[in-house]
Amino acid sequence: MPASSAESAGQSVPSGLAGKTPSGRGGPTANVRHRRGVTASNRPLWMLIPGGVLMILVIVVPILLGLYISVLTLDQYTLRQWLSAPFTGLGNYIEAVTDSPLLKSFWISLSFAVLSTAATVPLGIAAALATQNHFPGRAVVRSVFLIPFVMPSFVVATVWRTMFQPDGVIVSGLHSVGITSGLWLNGPNSYWTLVIVEIWAAWPFIYLLALAGLQSVDHDVHEASALDGASWWPKLRYVIFPYLKGPVALACVIATLNHINNFTLPFVLFGVPAPEDVQTLPFLTYITSFESFRFGLGAAMAFSSLILLAIPLIIYVRAVKLDVDEGADK
Amino acid sequence: METRKTRLAALTAGVAITVLALTACSGSNSPSGSNSPSDSTNGAGQTLTVYIGADGKYGPQQQQWFKDVSAAFQTQTGATVNFQTFASGTEELTKIQTSVVANQGPDVYVMGTTFTPTAYSTGAFVSLTADDWSKVGGKDKFVPATLGISGPSDSDQVGIPFNSGPFAMAYNTDLLAKAGIDKPATTWDGLVAQAKKLTGNGVYGMAIAYKDNFDPWKFIWAMSRQAGNPIISGKVAKVDDPTTLKAYQTYFGWLTTDHVVDPASVGWNDGQALAAFASGKAAFFPMSTTSNIPTLSTSAVKDVYKFALMPVVPPGATTLPAGGAGATSIVAGNNIVVAKYSKNQDLAFALVKYLTDDANQQFMYKTFGVLPVNQTTLKAVVASTPALGPILDAAAGSVATPFSGAWADTQLALMNVVVQTIPDLAKGSVDNSKLQSLLTAAQKTAQSSLDKAP
Repeated sequence: MPASSAESAGQSVPSGLAGKTPSGRGGPTANVRHRRGVTASNRPLWMLIPGGVLMILVIVVPILLGLYISVLTLDQYTLRQWLSAPFTGLGNYIEAVTDSPLLKSFWISLSFAVLSTAATVPLGIAAALATQNHFPGRAVVRSVFLIPFVMPSFVVATVWRTMFQPDGVIVSGLHSVGITSGLWLNGPNSYWTLVIVEIWAAWPFIYLLALAGLQSVDHDVHEASALDGASWWPKLRYVIFPYLKGPVALACVIATLNHINNFTLPFVLFGVPAPEDVQTLPFLTYITSFESFRFGLGAAMAFSSLILLAIPLIIYVRAVKLDVDEGADK
Repeated sequence: METRKTRLAALTAGVAITVLALTACSGSNSPSGSNSPSDSTNGAGQTLTVYIGADGKYGPQQQQWFKDVSAAFQTQTGATVNFQTFASGTEELTKIQTSVVANQGPDVYVMGTTFTPTAYSTGAFVSLTADDWSKVGGKDKFVPATLGISGPSDSDQVGIPFNSGPFAMAYNTDLLAKAGIDKPATTWDGLVAQAKKLTGNGVYGMAIAYKDNFDPWKFIWAMSRQAGNPIISGKVAKVDDPTTLKAYQTYFGWLTTDHVVDPASVGWNDGQALAAFASGKAAFFPMSTTSNIPTLSTSAVKDVYKFALMPVVPPGATTLPAGGAGATSIVAGNNIVVAKYSKNQDLAFALVKYLTDDANQQFMYKTFGVLPVNQTTLKAVVASTPALGPILDAAAGSVATPFSGAWADTQLALMNVVVQTIPDLAKGSVDNSKLQSLLTAAQKTAQSSLDKAP
């Protein structure tokens, strides 16, 4: 592992820099020796300072603040002097886990995210494959594919909400072909409404990363498989898909996180109070904090969900070996 | 290892951002333009920031009104007024929360009456002294009923009435005459009986907005209050009281057992119910706001509608029970509060005086359909528009919702019962045990919110 990480660290340092750092010692031999040195103890870690400071300001400080809030009884009565709100210890966490809809919301969020990802992957890959070979108007088709992705979530949700109204175009459309669909914005169906709209809005992301993966397939590989007489499916299955594995696995992680994080969609589609079936984690945390003024409990919910989500996430990342160095993997 | 760490860090960061979004998501907060203290109402060069709800029905008129008010105020005091608008109560909540924490923000807020108790409980708004009241023109200037939800007691008030919009019921005189009914009943049971007679031939007895985000709890509250249950009494929540259960059963029953409302109304908001009444498809339209008046007066039913009070006798009763209040409405409308952190409080009071004086109150009534809170203006309006009589009676007979910091939560819990019942409502039957369990949950929310109050 040290060797491979050394290699990757070496790769990430621009060659100009690698040449510059050892200049005090001079000479090509020193340079070679230093190549090893850069990877071990003399790495220019100070260059991380700007990023580090930013990370502390943007991530660490708010997290600590959030942690602090989560152990306070912070509500409308104490908001004004919030730093001196009464300390409640783990009270908020206990309430979040044992006496709030947090666990139900966790399952809603997780299943919603996994379902949405599972549905968008085949769509995205199929779209990428379809637009891989050149044909007239390909650029236009590719651009059109990106429309759902570039539209603001707010707009997407507003338009879909209008379409899903009881007298809207979807219900009447289904009715005209003999299907009585019931309500889409209330009750159990609302969950599927959320999934459908999320799939519509999110598949181009998988498409983009799959397309990037396809671009990296060497022309030689296509030629070689053609020479071997591979028909389309074996070629796709054994030649092309291995190239897509990395980008698509990464896309799955990012997409799933995005689904879990998606607050705008349920908020705009359903409003407050929302049907129980679409009370996702961010939505629940929002309502608890900003509608019910229970900021401490809201923060505790956010941290509990962070822990709950980290577990399956780490398992997944390990399973698809995204956290293992690429050099070692290949 | 390095890459792995970096990736793990990146992933952690990704998740962390979720947390940040969740915990720190609080919208932007722009400080007000007020930057130098003023000890008088000479506000030359100063700006007063007013946070007010955007009027969805009369947007362009409201923008023009902002300009006019600012110009007039500049002539009067030298200061300009910067109006900032919010589109939803949620947005306003967030703004208030951030301003309270940051101790800076708009100088003046216009807020719904039922939100006043929550704002009061933050302690961030000026509790008005006798001197402050005199700066806005004296407490006597206001219609007494509108002061009902300004503070926990007469001597401790933060809310200055800005406009009023009590409940009222519009009815289609044509449809009633055809059914041989001379005027709407004064009991809910009587109203349902009339509505049954009026239902048929594509017309429904009542237009109700079950999917509205604001309407439904007001019916539940009114019926409960009439039956003697104020929902919150001291430190005790009474959401699971039989009177409230009865109120929900009645409200849902109009659709499921009485069949006097359009089944499509499970998906309606206030505007859609208004449209049904305005096109002559419903005989009664119980309204929880007066802002529909300008729309009605230009609609297809403009010559055949009248106003009446909503029934004041609770479901299942023929007279008002002991302990019940003949609540015709909540104290509805908007209040103005002035932030404690504002450095321009005197200027703010001067603006409030301008906004609540006769001229502006007249203008707002004519333009936005909101009732005056100024006694003089109200008298003039009554004299010139006799048809408004029932609405004014409703305002006079209105009863304030409990002045409790837990009210916002309780109101949300009351609304939530309706939202979660809508799927059953759409199927045509509401299960009583399910309704009861929703009420139990709402009771728990309300009580735990009350328990937090100091």
